[in-house]
Amino acid sequence: MQRLYLALILLFLLSSPLYGKEEWKRAFEEEYLKIFPVDEAPKRNVCVSCHMSEIMRPELRTIPSQWSKSWHARNNISCHDCHGGDPEDEKNAMSPERGFIGKPSFKDIPQFCGRCHIGILEHYMKSGHGRSLRLTGHAPTCVTCHGAHEIQKASIEIINEKLCSKCHSYERAKTMKQALSVTERLIVDTDRALSTLKKKGMILEKENEEFFRTHAEFRALFHTTDVKLVKERTEEFTKRLGVIETRLSHYFKELNFRRNYSIFLTLLFAGMAFLFYLFYKERM
Amino acid sequence: MKIREFIDERIAFSELIRSQFSEYRVSERLNIFYTLGFVALAGFIVQFITGLFLLIYYIPHPQYAFQSVQRIMNEIPYGWLIRQVHVVGSNLMVAVVFLHMFSVFFMGSYKKPREFTWFIGATMLFLTLTFCLSGYLLPWSQLSYWATTIVSNLPTAFPVVGDCLADTLRGGKSVTGFTLSRFFGLHVALLPPLLSFLIALHIFLIRRTGISLPPWNASEGMKGSGQDIEGMPFYRFMVKELSMVMLYLAVLFFIIAFMPTLFLPEDANTPADPSKTPEHIRPEWYFLAPYEMLKLIPSKFLGITAQLIFVIIFLFWPFIDKSPERNILKRPVLLWTFIGVTGLWLLLTVLGGY
Repeated sequence: MQRLYLALILLFLLSSPLYGKEEWKRAFEEEYLKIFPVDEAPKRNVCVSCHMSEIMRPELRTIPSQWSKSWHARNNISCHDCHGGDPEDEKNAMSPERGFIGKPSFKDIPQFCGRCHIGILEHYMKSGHGRSLRLTGHAPTCVTCHGAHEIQKASIEIINEKLCSKCHSYERAKTMKQALSVTERLIVDTDRALSTLKKKGMILEKENEEFFRTHAEFRALFHTTDVKLVKERTEEFTKRLGVIETRLSHYFKELNFRRNYSIFLTLLFAGMAFLFYLFYKERM
Repeated sequence: MKIREFIDERIAFSELIRSQFSEYRVSERLNIFYTLGFVALAGFIVQFITGLFLLIYYIPHPQYAFQSVQRIMNEIPYGWLIRQVHVVGSNLMVAVVFLHMFSVFFMGSYKKPREFTWFIGATMLFLTLTFCLSGYLLPWSQLSYWATTIVSNLPTAFPVVGDCLADTLRGGKSVTGFTLSRFFGLHVALLPPLLSFLIALHIFLIRRTGISLPPWNASEGMKGSGQDIEGMPFYRFMVKELSMVMLYLAVLFFIIAFMPTLFLPEDANTPADPSKTPEHIRPEWYFLAPYEMLKLIPSKFLGITAQLIFVIIFLFWPFIDKSPERNILKRPVLLWTFIGVTGLWLLLTVLGGY
């Protein structure tokens, strides 16, 4: 026994001097966590490494960190998804043959973003903003309101006096915002309800898809300046969201049922435990 | 009545029940900790039954595993209850087995002639943990995928054979569909009969050597057998055990009612994505201490060797500790070692949680 204790103390002493070193912790996490399936290992992104290096102009060095905080980054949309090129090949990363587009001209920004955000582009181009851009080359584009790289999840708060009144009076935008706000509230509530249900283990594919579609179409509507159209469509969205909400309330009822049923079983078994204990005591 | 007579004439079933439950008597001094083994057995039976139901709808394929589990949770009538009982039950069972081992150690019940009983029990503890590890991957969620990635990388710490061991466990260099197949096979085909066999052996050994008695105020001396002519019939002790089983089930349903996401956090509801490491990934609570230990000891080899030594000491403890004294309170060095090791384990578990 004494020998065993001595061996254990020795083992402890051997390991203690370097106990908890930061480098070891980092190395540990890299070694134990970063083992990817061979075909799915993330490749080195030369866009990021080059943009962060000393050779880049200082104003362009912040782009990777801006992007990393963006809604795009959270959804795995990387540099090459918008700007093209080959992020794995340093020599040809910016080769037009590999689809490199680079930075679009100011006038081309809506088309640039609209390759993915098709519905939004359609509404924007028909709007006063879009028409003005086409005719004069000067109008608010996507980046004016959403920013270029640090793009966040869109919300109705983007329509605000500070931003709109840079170019014109806020009145029209305010009317638009009011027309959109009821549906926006429903969107926020439905989004929250879906995420609560997901946290509680209910992943509702059908409802999620329906919500995503409604949400995307509603967001596209933000880009028109036609108040009449906004009023017409928001009614439709409210109805669609109402249907989803009804279905979600059914799931919340189901969660309540689950909790109540489990409480019933808890009480049942607690009661039985007590009865068995009484029986045992009585027999004693 | 006729059926009973029919059976008794052939296999004397009533005689078996009488001899095993009424005539077999145990001491009235057996405290609540003596019921934990039975509670763990009940936990295993619950796991076995719920596991069978889950098997009906579960699909062990990376493409369908997550969906099938979601279907069990949200579409199959009372599927949520079966799965929650299985998930919460597995954690509770580990907790009960830990408590059982602690109480057996603390009361010196592992001493002669019960060394084999301890060895089988300790082996069953590791089998239970293997059960948990293999079952954890099956839902193929972010949580299960990454927790398994960590744990299946641990054997790589062994020199020479480490990589080979880890590759064999996973069926490749990383956690893939092959790992899922292997873990599924292990979880449903290999481990249940193995654990059942060991449980039978454990019970056989307990009946052969008798239930030990608490070491304090013992007049029986070294052997300390709970078998007692003057004691109570075994069925009465079983009522106490059943009371504890009911309490176990009450706790289980309490967790399901008020803490349904305790063992199923958000990452458990996200399908596995091998290219996206979630933040704050960590193994299940019972693996946190060894995980944190490996993290803190700055040599992979030393870390795994230390753990291996602890496992070997734990398994063979009754053969190492040959002192005839069963009362740990009369053995300060052992008592403080016990407190120290338990405290260290708890500390590492807490540290690992952050």
